[in-house]
Amino acid sequence: MVRKKVTVKNESGLHARPASVLVQVASSFESEFTINMYGFNVNGKSILGVMTLAAEFGSEMELIFEGPDEKEALDAVVDLFETKFNGED
Amino acid sequence: MKSSSQSIDLKGRAVSSGIGIGPTTILSFEPTAVRPDKIEPNEIPSHLQKLRDSRNLLLEEYDALKGESNLQEARDILEAQILTLKDPEVNKRVQFKIESERHSVGYAIFSTLNEYIQLLETSAVKWANDRAIDIVAIRDEWIDVVSENRKEISIEKGDVIFAEEISPALMVKISRIKVAAIVMEKGGDTSHAVILSQSLGIPCVINTHWNRYQVKEDTPVIVDGLDGHVIINPDDQQLAQYEKRREEDFFRVRESLKWVKRENVTKCGSPFSLRANVEFLEELPKVTTHGAQGVGLLRTETVLFETTEFDVKEQIEFYSKILQATANEFVTIRLFDAGGDKLIDDKESEANPFLGWRGVRMLLDQPTLLKKQLEAIYRVSAGYRGRLKILIPMVSRLEEILKLKAIAEEVRGALAGKNVDFDNEIPIGIMVEVPSIVMMANKIANYVDFFSIGTNDLTQYTLAVDRGNEKISTLFDSYHPAIWKMIRMTKEAADAHRIPISVCGEMASKPEAAACLLGMGINDLSMNSSAIPNVKAVLCSHTLLELQELAERVLETDELKGIHELFSKWTVTK
Repeated sequence: MVRKKVTVKNESGLHARPASVLVQVASSFESEFTINMYGFNVNGKSILGVMTLAAEFGSEMELIFEGPDEKEALDAVVDLFETKFNGED
Repeated sequence: MKSSSQSIDLKGRAVSSGIGIGPTTILSFEPTAVRPDKIEPNEIPSHLQKLRDSRNLLLEEYDALKGESNLQEARDILEAQILTLKDPEVNKRVQFKIESERHSVGYAIFSTLNEYIQLLETSAVKWANDRAIDIVAIRDEWIDVVSENRKEISIEKGDVIFAEEISPALMVKISRIKVAAIVMEKGGDTSHAVILSQSLGIPCVINTHWNRYQVKEDTPVIVDGLDGHVIINPDDQQLAQYEKRREEDFFRVRESLKWVKRENVTKCGSPFSLRANVEFLEELPKVTTHGAQGVGLLRTETVLFETTEFDVKEQIEFYSKILQATANEFVTIRLFDAGGDKLIDDKESEANPFLGWRGVRMLLDQPTLLKKQLEAIYRVSAGYRGRLKILIPMVSRLEEILKLKAIAEEVRGALAGKNVDFDNEIPIGIMVEVPSIVMMANKIANYVDFFSIGTNDLTQYTLAVDRGNEKISTLFDSYHPAIWKMIRMTKEAADAHRIPISVCGEMASKPEAAACLLGMGINDLSMNSSAIPNVKAVLCSHTLLELQELAERVLETDELKGIHELFSKWTVTK
């Protein structure tokens, strides 16, 4: 299992479009993906789960991957947060 | 209830500008009813099969729609719907409800998605609230498919769509038929139907309560996406008037967007500033794309209503986002201007709210609110020195200005005492919207850092016309000669004391009026971002001398009719 804390850098938050990108990228990996935000857990491959987090700019969350490709998956998703979801703001 | 044969003039929230005229098509879908009936164990496999089949059918349809669409926004919307159908948690829960709780597939979908809808609807984040509508749409469409109860829609080119709200998938379908306009009972500013209307240039008005009237299919209707009027069964005169405006708009919009990137100078090189009136964060992208120089009027009623106890931190966040999105330009924050039509407490309704407890009158009576707002502004100013201005609303006497400035000083003193860093030089100006201030402008200019003229209220208070009263609404006209003279008086007072003056009312958004204002020497105008390209096109294509001539002639005209004639001739010749 790998885990890492990230911060939402998109100014409009993790709204529908970045959430879609997140779910699509995460779903391309086999590993289970959980997002923990302020003690609230959602399946990171669930678009509605991610949207109900309603994460705003500056929100902190922990990404947790478990499975055969967990390292690659974590890198790919962390990269999305760093690049503000390919500039999807 | 009124019958549909007489003319009905409704007002909603204008979200996508333009004029639409056409016959109504009413999309009133009664969602298929679902009941929490239990199914027999032997029915479970067939319900699971229905779940898979319906999901695949919708996925195929959305995928095909997505492939056919060449609009990025439409593809994004469909992608989100596809991801919802594929959502592993949703599918797991629906399946669980069928297998273990023995609910019908329709009810299983209904109750699963409702859990998410409720979370989104009650979220403190506005975009999340708006997304709830999308999940409602997919829930209803999915249930229709499993119940084999899908509704056919027949929309034709040129129709005006009346709906409670519009699902994203339906909106994508509509986007391929050139409809004249869309009127929705509900809808949020960032709902997909609204976003698509804007990118497609379909006039759209939301929060219009057309459902209260018996509107019949194919009734002629006019939709004004600029001011939110929806006129059902218009008379010939209204039709002719709006048809003319629609034609003019069409050519103007096509031409004006070319001007966005141009420098803000007249044909002869004289500079001017066009700024945006802003209330919501969602408006910010348009501020940039339509070429606004910062925010000339930031309305703070919504953000303050939404914060708990006027929380300073939440306000700071809002102001920072606005400042970040507007590069190095000014942001003028108008202090909380509730009262009148935006009354804080419904229980204490006033006989004359527009002449009542509002603007600075209310602020001075609510020192906690006022101090919190000033504190938020000063705190945020540390990171944005020289970019903020404070605007006091509804001032009618000098004492109010003095009192407010004393409170601002007190707030600054308290912050300095706590070693908080802030911009000590934030200009404090006033809205000029009450005639008493115009008459005293020459004196008042000694005590304020700038004037900003609010033309709507100034018109209402000067002409003694209640904008909301239908019987006299035609008397409400900001082009009245008295208003132009008051603007000139205020401008002269500002010049004599060398303080800046701007106009932030609706008047500035009308190209001919903006031209006249610039001709009078007022070169700082603030308006709804959508209006900027049009205004800019007109200002850029005239010389200052031409604008000055127009202003002189307007100021010489004694009859309102004459001013309208001047403007219509002036626009036609260019």
